[in-house]
Formats: sequence, structure tokens, C-alpha cells
Amino acid sequence: MSTGRGVLLVAAVAGCILLGLSTGAVALPLADVWNGLWHAGSSQAAIVRDLRAPRVALAFLVGGSLAISGAALQAMIRNPLAEPYLLGLSSGAGLGAVIAIASRAGGPWSVPAAAFVGALSAVALVYRLSLVSGRRLDPHVLLLSGVVVGAFAGALMSAIMVLSDAPGVRNAFLWLLGGFGTASWQALAVFSVYACIPAGLLFFHSRSLDLLALGDEPAHHLGAEVDRLRRMVYLCTALLTAASVATCGIVGFVGLVVPHAVRTRFRPLHRTLLPLVFVVGGCFLVLADVVSRTAVRPLELPVGVITALIGVPLFAVLLRRTIA
Amino acid sequence: MGGLISRLPVALHRGGRLSRWWVFALLTGCRPTAAPAARLSVIDDAGDTVRLSAPARRVVSLIPAVTELLFAIGADSTVVGRTAYCDYPPAAHAVPNLGDGIKPSIETILARKPELVVLYNSGQNAAVAGRLAELGIPALRINTDVLSDVPRVARILGRVTGHLPDADSLAAVFDTALRNATAATSSGTRPKVLLLVWEQPPMTIGRGSFLNELVERAGGQNVFADITTSSGVVSVEAVAARNPDLIFTTSEGPSAFAGRPEWQVVPAVRSHSFLRVSGSEFNRPSPRAPAAIRELADKIRAVRR
Repeated sequence: MSTGRGVLLVAAVAGCILLGLSTGAVALPLADVWNGLWHAGSSQAAIVRDLRAPRVALAFLVGGSLAISGAALQAMIRNPLAEPYLLGLSSGAGLGAVIAIASRAGGPWSVPAAAFVGALSAVALVYRLSLVSGRRLDPHVLLLSGVVVGAFAGALMSAIMVLSDAPGVRNAFLWLLGGFGTASWQALAVFSVYACIPAGLLFFHSRSLDLLALGDEPAHHLGAEVDRLRRMVYLCTALLTAASVATCGIVGFVGLVVPHAVRTRFRPLHRTLLPLVFVVGGCFLVLADVVSRTAVRPLELPVGVITALIGVPLFAVLLRRTIA
Repeated sequence: MGGLISRLPVALHRGGRLSRWWVFALLTGCRPTAAPAARLSVIDDAGDTVRLSAPARRVVSLIPAVTELLFAIGADSTVVGRTAYCDYPPAAHAVPNLGDGIKPSIETILARKPELVVLYNSGQNAAVAGRLAELGIPALRINTDVLSDVPRVARILGRVTGHLPDADSLAAVFDTALRNATAATSSGTRPKVLLLVWEQPPMTIGRGSFLNELVERAGGQNVFADITTSSGVVSVEAVAARNPDLIFTTSEGPSAFAGRPEWQVVPAVRSHSFLRVSGSEFNRPSPRAPAAIRELADKIRAVRR
């Protein structure tokens, strides 16, 4: 990546964050936003420091995490359609979270943990199901298994929401639609603790992801421990997805669209691709969140609706360009 | 989403239970007109003419507000089916429970051999009404969203069950009681009230709901009265920007939000200025609305003192 592109990227990130901080339910001039960031006390400062800043930071980290999960899964399965949402991870995580809330064990730390168990169970089930085609993992069967397991988890979630009388479950479907309306520094702290290890592991193993993207056999011959690596990718993406779902509900298409968009411009090694995808994914979700809170003020649209509305047409364009 | 948001109040009126069914798209249905020799005809809230040969003696009521009204106008002996959420008056519990009021089971309705079915006027119920009409059972689709629906629907129910004089007197008593309850609160400053019906995500009540009217008549002003639908999802920032003096919650609404860090930006949360109410009179527009307004007005005065 050239220096010019690097400067452009930094400017784009700064622009997105500034836009995220300066828009919202309250119209605040830029000077107030800037003062509010550094000086506590006024009610404007409270809005900027305690509501907008964690919201933008959380949207950025969740977007980045979902995007690198998508990129890692795509490298492992060697299929550009792989994504936490399409592979059933998000629904598995949602089911775990809903079960935790229904059994009255829902706290800020326990919901992500339960979501992790759900995502991991979904991955295991998807993996086991896709082995019906033989020892070698067929990417198409894997994707199909992901869709089926996702639908199954969705059905169980619906059943629990209808049958459970735990207070938090009733409106869980609204929370699952996704949104950052209740972002706080506490939520940011919880998310960071859960996400830093898997994100770090993926960055650390970026060279191995290049090998894995070549195929199992070439990767093995080039010295990669394929099975161990694959388990690591499953665990890391499951944990990243679980932390995201527990924080802001099911937000789809980030892991699909962002790596795709980056790869259409240039095809770097994963050592460059992963950080790039993380930053672009972060910006994408920050912008989607800006739209979600400004489109129908004072109401909020679920951010998952925005990512799908932007993501699906963009994906169609990318798909055509890739095939042509 | 518009469809979802507009359907939420229905769920709230049914006792605060929301399920994902409301996410699904609206169904449209065409209804053949039938029933010859009709002596009694009313136009329902869907715009259809519903014809009956005589006042209905067996009514299935699939709206809690309608069940309550049927009992209130003395037509209780005609009610042969109700929803799971019809909990007032207590005598309504003796009526067979037919389950859900939105997309109900037609088979279960038929088993009660009704001469009239009253349905909530929503997109999903259009197909149900059409199916019932095909089976020769008149279906009346009714809106019960605002306080003025109480006397209006009472009179419709009075006509179709042959209890019009009782319905007329109930309507007259209701209008007077509503005026009196409102007049008693019409002086002084009006505290800004946030009607918070859910916390994660924060969901509030707009001017399309009777709860907005209850609060306004009790002497408060809804900080989100600019939301034209009955309810909507907002952000904590939007709440902080409106800076409510009081926060109205129901027993089925949010409970733990006051301790959450992001809510501390809202001064009314920090000072624990809450209006907590329970009781089904806050779930649906009903003849109990004047009493509900008095209760709210007392609570507002007590908190403000």
C-alpha cells in the first residue's frame, strides 16, 4: 500500500469518526462536540462523552471484528460467500444470548459468554453436518449447513421468545435486529475484553491464513498445521461474532461486503488485508449507525436493516464485477 | 419497520407481550359480501359492511378492550370466546380462552359456534376476516387505539348485540367522567414525561397511542408526542435531549434500566423520578381510563411535591 493510500485511509477514518461524533438526536455544533470531548460538566459534554463517544467506538470495533471474521472464514473455506451471518454463527450466538436471558442469567458479562457457547455449538454443528460429503470439507455443503443451522437456531429463538415469561425475552427480537442505541463505556469494555484475544490471534496468524487460502494440501506442504489452524479460526470467529451479537444484536453482511470491497481494489496478503478490512469494516458500521440514528429522527432504525440495505445491492454489484 | 412499529402498540395493549410475529408482512384479503335478509348492518373500521339478521347471541371477542366493553354494556352472556389476554373484568376468565388475538386459529373460533367474531383491525387479521366470511360468519374488525374509541366501539357493540341503550349510557357516563378527570388536572405547570415501555432498545409511546392521551389528560406532556405512530425505538441520546422531568413505566415494562451507566446521562434517571403504574387499565383504552387518569395525576402531584 502506498503512502498516498495510507493518508487517504487515515483521513477517511477520521472523517467517519468525526461524523459519528457530530450527528445524533441532538444537533450540536462541532465546537461543542470538541469541547465536550475534553471538558466534562455540561449536558452537551455528557451527551458527547457518555453516549456518542462509546457509541462510535463500539460501532467501529464491532464493524472491524465482524469484517475480519468474514475475511478469516473466507480464507479458511476458500469461498468469498463465507460470513458469520451466513455460516449460522450469528444465529447460534443469538440463541445462546436468548437462552441466557430466558433463564434469568442475563448480565453484561454472562450474555456474551452464553452467546459464545451458542456460536461455538452452531460452528460444531455446521462442521459436523458438512462432513456428510466426506472427509474433505466441501465449501458449498458448509455454506448450506450454515444456512440450515442458522434457520434452526432462529426457530428455537422464536419458540423461546413466545413461550418464556422472563421479562427480558419478550422484546428480544427487537434487540436482535441490532442497534447501538444503548452503547456505554461499560458495553465497550465488555466487548473489548471478549474481542481483543481472538482479534489478536487472527492478526498474529495472518501468514498462516495466506497458506490456508491456497488449499489444505498446499498449506500442509508449506508447513501449516491445518487442523489446529482451522480450530483456531473457528474459535476466534465464534468469539468475535458472539461478542458482537451480545453487544448490538445480529448485524449481517459486514463480514461479506467489507472484505469483498477491499479485495476488488487490491489483493494484499492477510498481513495487510486483515488490518485494512478491520478499519474499513469499522468505518462502514459507524456510517451505517449514523444513518440508523438520523434517517427517521427521533426514531432509530435497526442498524442491521441499514447494513442489509447497503450490503445486499453492493454485494450484487461486486458479484457481477467478480464474475465478469 | 414501519409495519413492525405500528403493530407494537397492539402487542402492548394485549398485555405487554411482544413476539416476532409482528415482523411479518401485512396480508391483504378481499372479502365477499354475503348474508341475505340482513336487518342489522354496521360499517366496521376496515370499511366493510357487516350484516347480521339479528343481534348476535354468541360473540367471540378477540380484543381485550372489546371483551371488557361487552361486559360493561351488559352483553357478558353473549361472550363465548376471548383471547389469552382478556383479564378484565375477572369474570371474563370464565369465558373459554381461544389464545392469540392476532392471526387466531380459525378452527378454535368455529368450535365456539359464534354468530359474530370481533377482530383487531390489523393487516394480519384481514385474511382471517375473509376466511370467516367465506365460512358464513360475520367478522367485525375494530380499532381500539385511542380513548375516543371507547364510546364509539361501545355503541357499535351495543348495536350488534342488542344492548344499544346500555352502550349509549356507558358512552355518556364515560365522556362526562373523562371531562371531569381532565378538568381536575388542567391547571399548573405540565411536567415533561417520558413514556418508557422498553429499555433494550429504548422504546417509547407516540401520539398514536391512548397512553399519550392518558398522560396529557393527567397533566403531563409526552416528550415524544412528535412521534405520530403509537410507539417507536429511540436512543438514550434522544431521551437525554428531551430531558423529561418524569419517567412513566408499567409493571411489565423496563425495570433494571435505572442502574445502567448509559442512562445516567438522563437527569430524571439520576434523581429516580419515576411514575410506576400497574394494572390492565394502562394496557388498553377502556371505561376505566378516567380512573387511570386520576391515578396518574395523583402520582404526578406526589412526585412533583
